[in-house]
Amino acid sequence: MMQFVDYLLGGIGSGAIIALMALALVLTWRATRVVNFAQVGQAMFTTFIALSIQTATGSWYVALIGAIIAGAILGVIIQYLVLGPVKRMDTSGAIIATFGVLIALQAAAGMIWGGDSQAYPQPFGNSAITLFGHEWPLSVYDLVVIGFAAVLVVGLTLIFTRTSLGLAMRATAFNPEVARLSGVRVSRTLTIGWGLAGIVGAVAGVLVAPTSTISPNSFDILLVFAFTAAVIGGLDSLVGAVSMGIFTGLLLSVVSGYSDSSNAPVAALVLLALNLLLKPEGIFGHNSARSV
Amino acid sequence: MRNLMRLPGARLVLHAVVVIVIWLVMVQVNDRVDPLMNYYIALVAMYATAMFGMVILVGLSGQVSLGNGALMAIGGYLFALTTLNWQTVPILGVPMNGIWAMVFAAVGGVVFGLLIGVLGARLRGPYLAGLTLGIAVGIPAIANRFPDLLGGETGLQLTVPYPEGGYAALDAGFEDQFAEVAPSGEALLPSADASLAPEELLTADNFPSADATVAPEDLLTADTFPSADATVAPGDLLTADNFPSADASASAGDLLTPDSFPSGAASLSPDLGGTDISGVDPTGTSDIDLGFILERWQASLAVAVACIVAFVALNLVRGRQGRVWKAVRDDPVAAAVSGISPAGSKVSAFVVSSLFASLAGAVFAQILSYVGPGAFGLGLSLSLLVGVVLGGRSSLVGAVIGAVLLVWLPQFVLSLSEDRGWDEQVTNNAPNLIYGLLVVLVVLIAPGGLMGSMQTLVAKVTKR
Amino acid sequence: MLSIDDLCVNYGPVQALSHVSLEVPRGEVTAVIGANGAGKSTLMRTLAGLVKPASGSASLDGKVLTGHKAEDVVRMGVSLVPEGRSTVPELTVDENLRLGGMWRSRAARTALHAQFYDMFPVLGERRKMRADTLSGGERQQLAIGRALMCAPECLLLDEPSLGLAPLIVTQILEMVKGLATEANIAVLLVEQNAVTALRVAHTAVVLNLGQVVMSGRAADIAAHEELRHAYLGY
Repeated sequence: MMQFVDYLLGGIGSGAIIALMALALVLTWRATRVVNFAQVGQAMFTTFIALSIQTATGSWYVALIGAIIAGAILGVIIQYLVLGPVKRMDTSGAIIATFGVLIALQAAAGMIWGGDSQAYPQPFGNSAITLFGHEWPLSVYDLVVIGFAAVLVVGLTLIFTRTSLGLAMRATAFNPEVARLSGVRVSRTLTIGWGLAGIVGAVAGVLVAPTSTISPNSFDILLVFAFTAAVIGGLDSLVGAVSMGIFTGLLLSVVSGYSDSSNAPVAALVLLALNLLLKPEGIFGHNSARSV
Repeated sequence: MRNLMRLPGARLVLHAVVVIVIWLVMVQVNDRVDPLMNYYIALVAMYATAMFGMVILVGLSGQVSLGNGALMAIGGYLFALTTLNWQTVPILGVPMNGIWAMVFAAVGGVVFGLLIGVLGARLRGPYLAGLTLGIAVGIPAIANRFPDLLGGETGLQLTVPYPEGGYAALDAGFEDQFAEVAPSGEALLPSADASLAPEELLTADNFPSADATVAPEDLLTADTFPSADATVAPGDLLTADNFPSADASASAGDLLTPDSFPSGAASLSPDLGGTDISGVDPTGTSDIDLGFILERWQASLAVAVACIVAFVALNLVRGRQGRVWKAVRDDPVAAAVSGISPAGSKVSAFVVSSLFASLAGAVFAQILSYVGPGAFGLGLSLSLLVGVVLGGRSSLVGAVIGAVLLVWLPQFVLSLSEDRGWDEQVTNNAPNLIYGLLVVLVVLIAPGGLMGSMQTLVAKVTKR
Repeated sequence: MLSIDDLCVNYGPVQALSHVSLEVPRGEVTAVIGANGAGKSTLMRTLAGLVKPASGSASLDGKVLTGHKAEDVVRMGVSLVPEGRSTVPELTVDENLRLGGMWRSRAARTALHAQFYDMFPVLGERRKMRADTLSGGERQQLAIGRALMCAPECLLLDEPSLGLAPLIVTQILEMVKGLATEANIAVLLVEQNAVTALRVAHTAVVLNLGQVVMSGRAADIAAHEELRHAYLGY
């Protein structure tokens, strides 16, 4: 039993990161009804930028800020240059375009920083916390990750529910024509949505990198986990993405703990398949996943 | 002519004639080009086979799927497992051979295609793409779970099953022919490649670079390479024979992800090459350059499979089923009220495309003489998507063009980098950067890909 | 005054509007009537900036509207209520209202906001509920409210009566007429239901196959028997 709790706790940190990446996917989905499969590519790229900044300045915080700025810019550029011009009708085209961006970003990162896995410095120490005579499978770093995730989620929720920008973004997502007729500058709103998603993804990237390594492809599996979480969460819901992200993290941690970490991708796949089979619209959503 | 086409079965015959003519031409080409070229031809045919399925799934049926790399893995692994573990075909008791192994691969592909299709075909675009993305990442990872059976991360080496008696026996006049070929074989030396021009898929100037890829790895010395030197020691010969598969790893790695692929050395061990050859060559004529044989066989096989698949695909795409797929893609509701089952149509597209993918996977396994999770990873799935988008999402000819692009561009970039002295880091990633940017450009500017744009152009010109 | 001058709109090879000229004075309701496919909705969408005209122009009090994007046209004072209860169902009543005229100052909007809830007390009670819980008539009121929050000088209404009970239609159209005369707004009303439209409108134009076949006082058109038979079907 104690072991199970340990496995669960061990998954909170990675769950928070999955939650953030899922959040980024949800943000772009809400903005443009596109699942941005390039999101992890963007995060990978900005994390490499952060690593370069870290190496140059030695400051983890400066690197994080650099990644955030780069993430916002990258998101805006991709929306403005690629997804904006794709016709709304051409859903296949939009999906394919995001994969094209992913391929290009990974190749570009390989060109600039090389294909080898690189270590990202661990800023807060990775040793387990010992409390009440038990060594908990949680490190200070895990707590920092959870803290970042919480701040971002609360911040985004406030933006969406309390500000005019948030209202414009929601209206644009649900009914762009009515939004335009109400005077909302739709394309600008969409671009801001992608910028926000880029920021969230960039934070997730910088947070996940120290827990493993970073290479052009190292976030691919994170994309699968995050997509799973976002879909189970309903793809439209911030709360759904975050809670299901953490759930996915816990589940994968338990699966890895009792069997082997190489089972995690298959476990995520099974989870996703079950969800699409039983409740395709997700737990928090009202999107219909099925077309026929 | 119009009236002739109205005869029952006329279209079938026409497609058969087209495919057979292409096949005959390719057989001649296979006989005349050098091993490296045959290796490229094999790769192109393999990609084309898989991409015919992508045309049906992504183009006609409108389902963006990344799962076809995983389905190729299923075909490849089934091929490898059945050839490695079974001496005879179960139940039937007849001796196991390459054809039977491919049949098992195909059956496996259909079963998995049905499974994925039933699960995914009713999903809307982004959901399906995400699910198949998970499949592309998850299924190859299964190999790591069963290291004993599936070889884990290192994968499985396999002996490419030749027809009984080896390729030599297949071709009775082999030795004579070889004697004829040999002199011209000299001319095919990378250094004197001008005579290659007629059949070339690659441009003459990038061809030598292929040699250059190999040279740094010291796989070949200038004397061992193409000249049928009787005095070459068996060991050297084997290395020479092994070279294309080494190159296979390298260039597949370029196409896919440079780093995920197992290092070329893993599939290069001379011992394995040794078992390859000795098992293959019953006549023991080790003084003949066997390096030419394997690639020729692989290319002929890949081309034959591609032609058969092309024939099936042509009939499906240009027949009733093709119209059904398009109808459901364009308007599922209208199709449904016309008595077509949208879900059934989408599942059938999945099944057909996974049949093609698994066959392509079985061919890929034979080209690499190897199956492993790295070779069938997400990169392969993405490559298929890239190829089919660039060539033209709904065009079978486009699929072939896409396949050529997938094989040619990395070589072209390599030759450029030789000339310009690019960093290895740049050279390795340039093809994918170009692919990614091209995919985006095609989606934005010419959603029909190369073939689609050409068709619009032709339509415009003929209209005027 | 909204003036439409020689407006042509094409959908590919099909001409949807052909040389339409029209004037919509302030303080009046101008009805556009005609059969299905006459180009009524196209006219409205073109005026609102959702469709680009092939030629011709439209202007509001001398400001040229054509060539501007929809989000700018609404800032210039032309607000469209598109066909089919155009609220955002996922947002609350309050949010739907706040959506209108977001670029305007908070003070101006709060005043309008309160005014609207005075006008429609039922919606005021439901301000925290999602728009898709409202009845058809309430949603249409909300849609008009959203458009009014943009403080338009010209209101374009596309088939506000669609799918509503006759009693509610009359109610909504009377409200529209009141708006036109009291707030001195130019109202362009598209209706397929010619009888009700002609009852509230001051002037009317009849569109057929993208062309204006007749225009004049609403009462005259309602009385024009041949026209009624030919284009309005009663």
